[in-house]
Amino acid sequence: MTTADHTAPEQPTGRDRPVTVAVRGLTKTYGHGAAEVAAVREVDLDVHAGEVLLVMGPSGSGKTTLLLMLGALLRPTAGSIVVTGRDRRRVEIATTLERELPALRANTFGFIFQDYALLDALTATENIAVAANIAGIKGTAANRRARALLDRVGLAHRAAARPSQMSGGEQQRVSVARALANDPPVLLADEPTANLDASRGRDLSRLLRQLADEDDRSIVIVSHDNRLREVADRVLWLEDGRFKTLAGLVVDPVCRMQVEPTGPHVDWEGRTLWFCSEGCRTEFTADPQRFVAGGD
Amino acid sequence: MLGVASALLLVLVLRGIFAGAIDQVTSYIRTSPATVFVSQEGVKTMHMSASALPPDTVERVRSVPGVTWASPIGFASGSVSGPQGRQLSYLIGYDTRTGRGGPARLEVGRAPGTGEAVLDEQAADGLGVHLGDTLTVLGTRLSLVGLSSGGSSITNTTVFVARTEFTNIRGDTDSYLLVGTEPTAAANVADRISAALPGVTTQTREEFATSEARIVTDMSADLLRLMSTIGLLIALAVIALGLMTATLNRIREYAVLKALGATTIRLAGSITVQVLWTVALASLLATTFAQLLSWTLPLLAPAVSITITSTALYQTTLGALAVGLLAALWPLRRIATLDAATAFRETR
Ligand SMILES: Nc1ncnc2c1ncn2[C@@H]1O[C@H](COP(=O)(O)OP(=O)(O)OP(=O)(O)O)[C@@H](O)[C@H]1O
Ligand SMILES: [Mg+2]
Repeated sequence: MTTADHTAPEQPTGRDRPVTVAVRGLTKTYGHGAAEVAAVREVDLDVHAGEVLLVMGPSGSGKTTLLLMLGALLRPTAGSIVVTGRDRRRVEIATTLERELPALRANTFGFIFQDYALLDALTATENIAVAANIAGIKGTAANRRARALLDRVGLAHRAAARPSQMSGGEQQRVSVARALANDPPVLLADEPTANLDASRGRDLSRLLRQLADEDDRSIVIVSHDNRLREVADRVLWLEDGRFKTLAGLVVDPVCRMQVEPTGPHVDWEGRTLWFCSEGCRTEFTADPQRFVAGGD
Repeated sequence: MLGVASALLLVLVLRGIFAGAIDQVTSYIRTSPATVFVSQEGVKTMHMSASALPPDTVERVRSVPGVTWASPIGFASGSVSGPQGRQLSYLIGYDTRTGRGGPARLEVGRAPGTGEAVLDEQAADGLGVHLGDTLTVLGTRLSLVGLSSGGSSITNTTVFVARTEFTNIRGDTDSYLLVGTEPTAAANVADRISAALPGVTTQTREEFATSEARIVTDMSADLLRLMSTIGLLIALAVIALGLMTATLNRIREYAVLKALGATTIRLAGSITVQVLWTVALASLLATTFAQLLSWTLPLLAPAVSITITSTALYQTTLGALAVGLLAALWPLRRIATLDAATAFRETR
């Protein structure tokens, strides 16, 4: 985990790491004829190991649809999604047979839901153990794994609590632990902070960042929540089913947001650097070396 | 779970009351020292029956090999009345010297002599008579000298008098003959009596009790049977609806599990296990409560007796299990076609 990566403006973290999810020409059209809705249109995307990717966009822009297709929960109308599993095997999700999908999900993905989606009747430990069971970990091994994961998300003391006895923040951490039960290479989260207050939301986003860093996991988060920007390696803007000028976006070297090359900028050592705001530009010009370490 | 438990409890209690009623009705026969009963030809029961044996029956039965003793009783149906009311009653005249055919248990007082009677204590309570009081039995006034137990049922109570007193009231005809044998020889001896005395009906104690239970079931317990059948249907409906809605309420949870990679077969398995547990726990709970009721209820309402039979228990439990599984797995088609993507959709 190198700070150099973070500060290199045109080389955000993870770009040099293996690609875990490669998406090409991904398209989803709901309905037919007059009722046809093109929710996602010919999206290309690479998600790297250890990367936290945040997909933002207005309501109805196709974020959830994209996430469902990535997670093998929704079949694309066209395009391909290739995931590389922990065993380095590459699987084309778009054409995987229906009956092979459960195993694929159980081995490849961890899901985090906006409303946590824990099973009410089960304790925190049991909720995680169930996911471990589904992933093929049996009996006491599943319970041991559940406890270890609870410990990891800082909830060891709530092991026997049921969802109704836990705060939203705690429930969401249990659901993160559950998403880790199968040690998936890819974590997918839909609005994970939407039901949490500011400080809980920040805790959760830090937790996700940590999980990406420690286990080299790819995390794709779909959200409206600006707080998540601070832990994301990349922020993509989805609008009308397309990433808006994905290729054209550049990274503000100060705040590391994706910005369109249209606003404030400076020419510095033969390059043009773009900023999200005058504030960032001023900060940069005050001490350029601070933001472009090495200057390569 | 509690719904299922209360439904099962309802059935168990109803069936228990039913079985308890039958138990009470056959109590006199089942607690008798006799292992074989002889009655008039064609008469197989006591309830709603009149039996008269040919005068030489006693002697002839006594001479059948294997018979250790034979003791005739007089039996009549009628009513007994006291200051607070009147009840249907059997009148049994028995040999007070041997006690055979008399009350199974004398709670207080002594065996009856001339002009005296022993009445079941529950009936005595109901009629408002105490030891020393006078009661009227089939039109004859008798003095109460003892209280017995086990002689009252939902249909009637029992008055015991000496055989000689019975003769005064009803005449000198023997109604039934109680026969003692070696316990293991009862069936053989009954066969021998049948062969030697073709003009009478001979039954072992079990046969006699079964006949008696059957006639009472057929007649006076119809209502109870109807009630317990309706109870069973209601209970099964409650169980079915309860478990079916339980499954349907969890559709979202099943979608989540599917998203986590669970197969439909796994979900069906977990539903089955859940139903098994629910029904097992519910029937355990219901049994415990029914058993408690069967002990406490008779203290509050002596006329009611509840007998929880193992047959009733496993029939209700199996019924609940079958219906429960059917109902819980009924929505399986929906679960099978359930789109795991709805796990994300139904968040708002
Ligand atoms: N099952 C469906 N059938 C038909 N149209 C659908 C279906 N699901 C989504 N859509 C449409 O597809 C488009 C994208 O929906 P999607 O849920 O992916 O948006 P979103 O970006 O997640 O929105 P939000 O931020 O509100 O969650 C919307 O226009 C929506 O109405
Ligand atoms: Mg959405």
